[in-house]
Amino acid sequence: MKKYAVVLICSLAVLAAGCQPSSENAETPEGGSDSGGSSENKELSLWHIETGEAEKVLQEAAQRFEEEHEGVTVELNQYQNDPYKEQIITSMGGDSPPDIFHSWGGGWLKNFVDSDQVMNITEDINPDNYLQTGLDTVTFNEEIYGVPVGMELTPVWYNTAIFEEYDLEVPETYDDLLGIVETLRANDIIPFALANQPQWPGAFYMMYLAERIGGPDLFNEAYNRTGRTFDDEAYIEAGQKIQELVDMGAFPDGVNGMNYDNGQSRQLMYSGDAAMEIMNSGAMLNNVRKEMPEFEEKLDYFLFPEVEGGQGSQNHAIGGVSPAFSISSKTEHPDLALELLKELSSQETAQGLADRSGNISAVQGVEYEDGYIERLNSTLNEANYLQTFYDQTLPPEVAQVHLDTTQGLFGKSITPEEAAQEVEQAAQEVLE
Amino acid sequence: MSEHAQSQQSSAGAAAFRRKQKRKKTWVIIGFMAPALIVYGLYVVYAIGMTFYYSTFDWTGIDADLEFIGLQNYVELFRDMTFWQSLKNNTLLIAASLFTQIPLGLIMALLLFSPVKGMRLFRTVYFMPFLMSTVAIGILFVYIYDANFGLVNQVLGSIGLESLQRGWLGNENTAIWAVIVTICWQFAPFYMILFRAAIVGIPEELYEAADIDGATGWKRFSSITLPLLKPIIVTSAILSIIGALKYFDLIYIMTGGGPNNATDLMATYMYDQTFTNFNMGYGSTISSMMFIIAFIVTVIIITLDNKRKADY
Repeated sequence: MKKYAVVLICSLAVLAAGCQPSSENAETPEGGSDSGGSSENKELSLWHIETGEAEKVLQEAAQRFEEEHEGVTVELNQYQNDPYKEQIITSMGGDSPPDIFHSWGGGWLKNFVDSDQVMNITEDINPDNYLQTGLDTVTFNEEIYGVPVGMELTPVWYNTAIFEEYDLEVPETYDDLLGIVETLRANDIIPFALANQPQWPGAFYMMYLAERIGGPDLFNEAYNRTGRTFDDEAYIEAGQKIQELVDMGAFPDGVNGMNYDNGQSRQLMYSGDAAMEIMNSGAMLNNVRKEMPEFEEKLDYFLFPEVEGGQGSQNHAIGGVSPAFSISSKTEHPDLALELLKELSSQETAQGLADRSGNISAVQGVEYEDGYIERLNSTLNEANYLQTFYDQTLPPEVAQVHLDTTQGLFGKSITPEEAAQEVEQAAQEVLE
Repeated sequence: MSEHAQSQQSSAGAAAFRRKQKRKKTWVIIGFMAPALIVYGLYVVYAIGMTFYYSTFDWTGIDADLEFIGLQNYVELFRDMTFWQSLKNNTLLIAASLFTQIPLGLIMALLLFSPVKGMRLFRTVYFMPFLMSTVAIGILFVYIYDANFGLVNQVLGSIGLESLQRGWLGNENTAIWAVIVTICWQFAPFYMILFRAAIVGIPEELYEAADIDGATGWKRFSSITLPLLKPIIVTSAILSIIGALKYFDLIYIMTGGGPNNATDLMATYMYDQTFTNFNMGYGSTISSMMFIIAFIVTVIIITLDNKRKADY
């Protein structure tokens, strides 16, 4: 009964919204033959959001699995990012979830874990196969609820040609960075390309500045409620520094109206109008290679510089996991689902993702063909601390306030003190 | 006497026959209505009922247990500044629809009847925005409003109004207006088509009589066209008000409700609460509120219209 009710309520929500959810495009890879002797055909469903080569790698992994398990078909459903979030909530609420589903780990996944929707696989996998930082994002109360497959590193990308032209060096301190911003500004170049309509691209600045000022424990203390809080002086100072950058003209005009997905920030990089951009490695590399391959020659990166007197270090990176896969606790074939999960995070799949879609692997033992990815991978491994994305680590309600207020800081519609207080207030209501 | 009895009998028979016929007819009517009725009942009536039901729970949407909290969600809703902000934006959108889209639609419809060469071309051109996919319109206007490469700023720059250049969608004060302009651009042609059809339906004799009486231009319009268009104007007003109350698409595509909730409408806020923040209960409360507001507004308009008709 409840199942129908949920489906209905969502159709109402959609009706009321007057929009149609983008249609998912179901793709069942060929070769799911059950010509063998097996009498019953079992089906496993897998929901993911990968596109391009990454999607093909997943299809091949599913195919390998089908060949090894006669009579089992894997049904892959690909969704777009936002519709995926709707569909997965609807299907979980309606008691008809997929067997295996994509996740970003962190607070988002924890919601499902708290609702008993995710299978505990602590005993079933070998943690040594995965990067610890990746595994951390799917571990709650020391129990493991998924496997990390890919990692993201989020450095500051820059155009080497522009840096050479104006005799600029990779900054080691925040003051160096301010010097670079001034030089670029004086030469009519936008220092940072940023398209902050989706809110997460601007959040990188908040996360980096807060870490560089307050140190690696700041966020964890605030998140676990064991010391400093989200209205700590370090967060206020980070907000002030963002607004200082805004005042210096470090960002393009109308930064909060520009959409990353439409390429509005990358355009500025490609055209040479902007010199730097803080962006996820996967997104940056894949987009450049697809949209303007020749730009890759001019593309290099560094980690955000240290703030003088701060407790953070330039060796600390920001990053996260994408994708991770989890098994639904409602699956009818837990053993098969577990086998498929292992195939999805197997050496072969991980190698394919690394070679073909520029993925830094969360699976141990991958050898990189691609020099760029290898370098990113070693930066990630050499980093003494990896700050995972706030908006994926925090529960969604607090994450949303963090994103909204940070966007407000860029638009100067909120003071750093107010922003910090609002996040702390939301944290007090939601976090224990 | 016997004649009378006979006629009575036959009339009784006829009445029975008529009753039977009527019953039969009722079943036929029900039979034809059933498919639509079932769909309507299930997907509209039942769904609305369930929305109200869920609005009394604190529920993530994925959890097995629902915690009943009565009207707590509504209390919270009335204290929620973002909800009031989104309601205010809906009100702005209603005003813009009523005072921009409908007059613009009417003017364009009238223009189509003016004796200008090439009107057929204009008819197509005017109607074009309504034929475009909303997503395409959204993305197109995001580029038009772009602060660095956008058409609006380029034009302003080329006519010496650099001081007016800004990031239209990124500024909390201008974003909502920028989107409203886009919405009006998309929907004015829809009202144009409605009005055009209505104007075609006005009998030619009325205008001939007006010619004989010497009425021209404005007088013809205000005494004949406008009064006869009143029913269609009322319909358009209802459509546009309800449409504006539950509007979603272009806001979602162009600004996602941002920056910092400045362009959130009730529907986009409901979406965020339900699917981003895992608040199915609270999201249902917002949906219920949207329904209540739209319902009240419709009742008021229909009552006023009936009164007007009675007075007429």
